[in-house]
Amino acid sequence: MAADWEEIRRLAADFQRAQFADTIQRLSERNCIEIVAKLVGDKQLDVVHTLDGKEYITPAQISREIRDELYVHGGRVNIVDLQQIINVDWVHVEGRANDIAKSDRTVQLVLGQLVDNTYLDQLAEEVNDKLQEAGQVSIAELCKSFDLPGDFLTEILSQRLGKIIQGQMDQYNRGVIFTQAFLSRHKARICGLFSAVTRPTAINNLIGLHGFHEHLLYLVLEELVSSGRLKGTVVGGRQDKAVYIPDIYSKTQNAWVDSFLKQNGYLEFDALTRLGIPDPVNYTKKRFKTSKLLFLRAVCVGQAIVDQVEASVEEAVNSGSWTDLQPMLPSCLSPEDIGILLNQVLRTTNVQSSARIVSGTVVVSEKFIGSCLSLFSESMQQRAVKEVKNNPVFLITEEDVKQASALVESAAPSKKEKREEQRRKKASEGSGSVKGGGGGNAREIRIRKTKKKSRRGEEDSDEEAATAPQNRNKQTEVPFMSPEEVTAVLEKHVCDCPEDMLSELAEHLMRPLARMYQEVVRTVLMSSTNAATGAGRKRNVKDLQEEINNLCHNIRLFEKGTKFFSEETQASISKHVLKTVCADLTNILVNFAAAEFMTATDSPSSITHEVRVKILGRLPEETKAPLMKLHNSLNGKSIEDFLTNLEPSAEVCGFMLKKGDKKRERQALFQHRQALTEQLKVTEDPALVLHLTSVLLFQLHAHCMLHAPGRCVPQIVGTLVGRVSEDQHRLLSRYQTLVVKQLVGQSKKGGREHREAESAEQEDEAEAVRKELQSLTGEVKDLVLTSRKTSATED
Amino acid sequence: MADEATRKAVSEIPLLKTNSGPRDKELWVQRLREEYLALIKYVENNKSADNDWFRLESNKEGTRWFGKCWYIHDLLKYEFDMEFDIPVTYPATAPEVAIPELDGKTAKMYRGGKICLTDHFKPLWARNVPKFGLAHLMALGLGPWLAVEIPDLIAKGLIQHKEQQNNS
Repeated sequence: MAADWEEIRRLAADFQRAQFADTIQRLSERNCIEIVAKLVGDKQLDVVHTLDGKEYITPAQISREIRDELYVHGGRVNIVDLQQIINVDWVHVEGRANDIAKSDRTVQLVLGQLVDNTYLDQLAEEVNDKLQEAGQVSIAELCKSFDLPGDFLTEILSQRLGKIIQGQMDQYNRGVIFTQAFLSRHKARICGLFSAVTRPTAINNLIGLHGFHEHLLYLVLEELVSSGRLKGTVVGGRQDKAVYIPDIYSKTQNAWVDSFLKQNGYLEFDALTRLGIPDPVNYTKKRFKTSKLLFLRAVCVGQAIVDQVEASVEEAVNSGSWTDLQPMLPSCLSPEDIGILLNQVLRTTNVQSSARIVSGTVVVSEKFIGSCLSLFSESMQQRAVKEVKNNPVFLITEEDVKQASALVESAAPSKKEKREEQRRKKASEGSGSVKGGGGGNAREIRIRKTKKKSRRGEEDSDEEAATAPQNRNKQTEVPFMSPEEVTAVLEKHVCDCPEDMLSELAEHLMRPLARMYQEVVRTVLMSSTNAATGAGRKRNVKDLQEEINNLCHNIRLFEKGTKFFSEETQASISKHVLKTVCADLTNILVNFAAAEFMTATDSPSSITHEVRVKILGRLPEETKAPLMKLHNSLNGKSIEDFLTNLEPSAEVCGFMLKKGDKKRERQALFQHRQALTEQLKVTEDPALVLHLTSVLLFQLHAHCMLHAPGRCVPQIVGTLVGRVSEDQHRLLSRYQTLVVKQLVGQSKKGGREHREAESAEQEDEAEAVRKELQSLTGEVKDLVLTSRKTSATED
Repeated sequence: MADEATRKAVSEIPLLKTNSGPRDKELWVQRLREEYLALIKYVENNKSADNDWFRLESNKEGTRWFGKCWYIHDLLKYEFDMEFDIPVTYPATAPEVAIPELDGKTAKMYRGGKICLTDHFKPLWARNVPKFGLAHLMALGLGPWLAVEIPDLIAKGLIQHKEQQNNS
């Protein structure tokens, strides 16, 4: 019993003990993770959890595992693989791997792979095997097969070169390793190949043909060449265009070049290129450093030829003649080169200013050109005089009009022209050659050939920079002779010149000739106008006044005369009057106005409609307006209009129109009749006789002057009916019909000449008419002449 | 009735065999021995599950028990004294556990601080006489009651943490 209670007591004690025993502090997984995370966060614990989250691992353990894996994988392991094996975050693996690579010298981190030295040694051995087998291995190939970067491979292999790898690396191209045997084999091949070469050979081709290693080839080649084993040179460095030139070849080449130059005095670059000299200019420069060669575009020329040319040029200049250099120059010289050569020669001989180059090869001295110019002076004078007489209007430019006053004093060329001359001189100097010279002006020559039509066109293209006024000036220049004409003249005077040269010379001359001509024309013009002006002028004005008045008077009388006719006839007569007498009057006025501005002609009657317009265009505004009106009224129908316009025009020109009086009228009538009678007496032409007779008869009976065209004769005869006696009238009618018949016959004859049978018949008829006319002419003439007497007695 | 944890805890408590009350001299000792073994097992189980929540001891006869129980709410430990007597009719009648300091604070309590066990407990106990012992009483009676009542009382402000009381 007591034992039981004892047991109870013991159990109670056990119970108490059980109750007071430490509670096991159980932590849930969640709490654990949180606590560890906190510790790691507080840097109190350094562990890394695995990717599946089941384990924590210390960095040291990672390092150890990495090393183990590296060993297991044979010395080379990818970090990515490691990460999968160790199963922690990649960052930790990489970090540890880096640490290992840093701390351990036998381990390296390459391209994300850990590699240790045992692996590298093994690799080197493998490479060595390959090398011994093939003679050479390229790093690039190894890179591919081992999947390692080239630089790294190069480095580790070069470390093991000579130890594990029995071979050597190309010094210049570290991408290849080869064995000594391979090298010497290569060398032997190169030596053999290049010894066999006798011509310049592109090394590139050989490389392609024989499969040499490029860098090795150059290396060996250089060695062989410098050691004298190979006799030759490598030209063009190590690039693609490198060429091996054997000495034997260059020797013969040089010999050829030397002898050619010696024999011919020149070298053609083309020929050198054909010989296989890649840069002929530099080659020649180098080879003939001492001898003075003149380098042109495609050729270089020796001193001998230059001297020769110089001598002949000098001679030409000194003797004032010309010389053609073509025969003494090598035929291979291009025109351009000839130009350069000639310019050079002209420069050295210092005769630039006194010689010019024509048609490429011909040197002409200025003296010679001068003499050519003088050939023209005479004909120029003649032409100028003729020209001035013909149409001064076209000669005189607007500028001349402006400068008229200055020009009256001296016939010197205007400032503008002087300036132009200077400019032209400069231009020719600037281009380094005289115009149209050698190669430099080839373009110009071509242009000239295509547009030979006019000098002016060529000038335009030649001197595009010419300013506007100068252009205008040129347009108004008077052409002197066409180039062809000039050529012809030159040919006559200058013997045995090539044709080309002549024509070109002619073109050269055109310009100065035109200028000279211009001047001559101007002086001639000046002298003529000068004569007209001054003292003679006043007298002229007086005469003109008289003449104008007379004409005006006559016109008025003529107008009166027209009143006797029907409307239609009146119109045609008016027109005739306007066309003849009125036009004359206008011309006188216009000419007078023009004379004040230097554009007068000698014979006002020769002024045509269009000349008038031109002159009017030149006149100042105040003179121009009335004269223009007057000019326009000439084309009208009414004489009255003309007369009304005449007055202001005359005033503008400074003339007074006098009113007609009876006395003057009668005097005019008389004069007119007298003139007509004189004409009638002389004439034999039946038509004219009829015309004059009828007009005279009209004046006689109507006491009115008449100025009518020929086709109005029938009307005039018609008006005479009743004023003259029946006989006279019949005679006139008869005469008129005969005249008409004759005229018709003549025109028919002209039209139907081919019908001979008919024409014979008609000829007979015409003959009859002619005879009758002849017989009647005297009678008809008497009609007037006698009646004049009667009228004179009447007076 | 109880939650899964409780059920598990109860299932791990060894069942008792002796059906005797304090009046049976010999058999009570045996019964008491079994009670102690069950309690020790329960406490050990609790400790190993980090779920220790009471201290209990008895008088020499094992008829009167007293001790402490506590409940952790919001990281604060609320500790209460408790006591109970073994009824004469034990094990047919379950003992009535009392927490005197909570007397009058909750409706689920009889006069004198005896906790009002749920309707489930008594039939359950009755069904399991004599297999259930004191350990079962704690696990199925007091434990669930505390779990339900204490948070409620704390929320109502009827009980306050002692340290806080001291502080305040």
